[in-house]
Amino acid sequence: MGWLIDLLPLSYPDAVVVCGAVALGVAAGVLGALAVVRQRSLVGDALAHSALPGIAIAFLVTGVKDATGLLAGAAIAGLIGAVVMVAIEHTSRIRPDAAIGVVLSSFFSLGIVLLTAIGHRDNANQAGLESYLFGQAAGLLERDVEVMTLVALVAIGIVALAFRPLKATLFDPSFSGATGLPVRLLEVASTALLVVAVVIGIRAVGAILMVAMLVVPTAAARQLTSRLSVMLVLAGLVGAVVGVAGALLAGAAEVPTGPVIVLVGAAVVLVAVLAAPGRGVLWRARRLARARRRLLVEGVLLDLETALHAGPPPTPRELADLAGRPARLVARALRELDRAGQLVREGDRVRLTEPGAAAAHSLLDQRRLWAVWLEHGWQLRLVDAREPDPRDLRGSLGDEAVARLEALAVAAR
Amino acid sequence: MSPDLAIVLTAGLVATACGLLGPFLVLRRVALMGDAVSHAVLPGIVATWLVLETRAPLPVIVGAAIFAILCVLGIEWLTSTGLVRSDAAIGLVFPALFSLGVLGIQRFAANVHIDLDATIYGEIAFTPFRVVDVLGTEVPRAIVIVGAVALANLGLVAALWKELKVTSFDPEFARTIRIPPRLLSRLVLVAVAITAVTAFESVGAILVVTMLIVPAATAYLLTDRLVVMVVATVGLGWLAAGTGYAGALAWDASVAGAMGLVAAACFVLALVVSPRYGLLARSLRRRRRQRELARELAALEG
Repeated sequence: MGWLIDLLPLSYPDAVVVCGAVALGVAAGVLGALAVVRQRSLVGDALAHSALPGIAIAFLVTGVKDATGLLAGAAIAGLIGAVVMVAIEHTSRIRPDAAIGVVLSSFFSLGIVLLTAIGHRDNANQAGLESYLFGQAAGLLERDVEVMTLVALVAIGIVALAFRPLKATLFDPSFSGATGLPVRLLEVASTALLVVAVVIGIRAVGAILMVAMLVVPTAAARQLTSRLSVMLVLAGLVGAVVGVAGALLAGAAEVPTGPVIVLVGAAVVLVAVLAAPGRGVLWRARRLARARRRLLVEGVLLDLETALHAGPPPTPRELADLAGRPARLVARALRELDRAGQLVREGDRVRLTEPGAAAAHSLLDQRRLWAVWLEHGWQLRLVDAREPDPRDLRGSLGDEAVARLEALAVAAR
Repeated sequence: MSPDLAIVLTAGLVATACGLLGPFLVLRRVALMGDAVSHAVLPGIVATWLVLETRAPLPVIVGAAIFAILCVLGIEWLTSTGLVRSDAAIGLVFPALFSLGVLGIQRFAANVHIDLDATIYGEIAFTPFRVVDVLGTEVPRAIVIVGAVALANLGLVAALWKELKVTSFDPEFARTIRIPPRLLSRLVLVAVAITAVTAFESVGAILVVTMLIVPAATAYLLTDRLVVMVVATVGLGWLAAGTGYAGALAWDASVAGAMGLVAAACFVLALVVSPRYGLLARSLRRRRRQRELARELAALEG
């Protein structure tokens, strides 16, 4: 690890933090994805809390505040917590969120009881045992970075080697169990890695950052793809980028690293949720607005066609009253028709141009054809199960099918 | 009022206030909302310090409640986009708010002692000593506050029982009969936020988080009827409060921790011996089915 830290054009502490952020981001991104897909996003929260009794017991056993011993206690307790969580889910109707909550509350309660027990033994040495785990981020040491890098590499290795069984297990555990895949083994392996990552993470960067880093990369990556393989790679990347960006930003502003990484991650997810191509909130809003406008313009076009059949060219006001539409919307639709060259204005009255009338007729024909399809389509024996497009029935079914459809309609009449 | 009675009564009222809402959280798959709120209040405390320069209970509770409500509504919005599941939404929102609080302390209040333990998380063992005067008698403040919240929750759940029920089990159907599921779910979440913040101040975070989740999950193992589930949740909460306090006295341990352990023990017991969903009942059923199958096969062959 040392050579990489020396290689970066940064001061030693900054280089360690950046390397650590990359390793943490990749490890949490990949391992978190496996948890988030199974709706166990908050497993990090449960693991962080269930480490407390482990630390207390480790202290009771060894009697000293030795970092390695306490970390081992935390890891064992975390592993037990994770196994209990999975067991509750497998053996009962309790769902992941409640199982996580039950483990979190019970283990933490046990931890508090044990801490008071330690306190009563009149042991002056125990002070600050709790903050050993939940205190401010102690800062990354080079050794933490090395372990975290190892965890990240093993996680990537497992996911790459066992991708297909892992995928089957994630999306359909009972099917993969039935086909003889080692479902439990995969689950235990990924959970054990997660426990190691969380225990190192909470000691080095704080519990809350670990909770966020398990969720952020996947929540962002999921908006950009629907393929698990792509999502896992993206999650690792997003984790690394968020980690480095947060670490550098925090270094520049001279504030704690953990919270800045969390906030950068939250911002990334917010942007992804708002603007993910074709899926984000803003995209959907735009698609909805377009569809509404198209329906409005088509409606006004048909209203105008009807009015012209019945009498003299109407005013926009009359047109609005005819269909009970707000005058403002009718005016907007008329402007749009005008721009498309489908409308002429004669004083304050409007009429359709040649292309406008053609557009109205083709729209009417299209709607009539769709109505016929809905009524008689079932009689049409198609060679394949095509889902026709309401706006282009002829294009999606073919001329021959449409001709038979028309014949059916005539026969029915 | 004797100190022992005051503590058990306070814990029981917390169990009631939380037990009325917990079942809805478990059914809506957002059991960890209480834990989220317990972290998300930090920026509220910092903001109160910045604006009012005070650490007095009432302004701090109001500031914390504002951010608790922000937190639950943020989670609700993120979930409602359909792009992020509720568990992930919780894991995104509360760390962000907590981080905001940590940065705020670092930036503006580094020399003031503000942290969650000192400002908002009370300790249930101290409740008998903080009293207020009600109609000439001295009553522990926590009992008055948490009692009022429990009463408000009872009113909410009783008044909107049918609406809460239908939106918890079948939000789509609720929409078709003009009961807005999102409005109801926001109401529940805001009630949870306010309950949690006021109860934190009296009894500390972990007891509230536990009382919101564990009794409700236990009751979920015991029954299929919502009304039974809610009543059982509250009952289990009281059981944990009473027995837990006795245990805490006997072992000389943390009161909140002992109550949490009793609640957890009830959960494990239900997991094993629940008449319909317990491990024992299910393995007996499986055993019986296997025997029946074997008998039928034998009859076919013979």
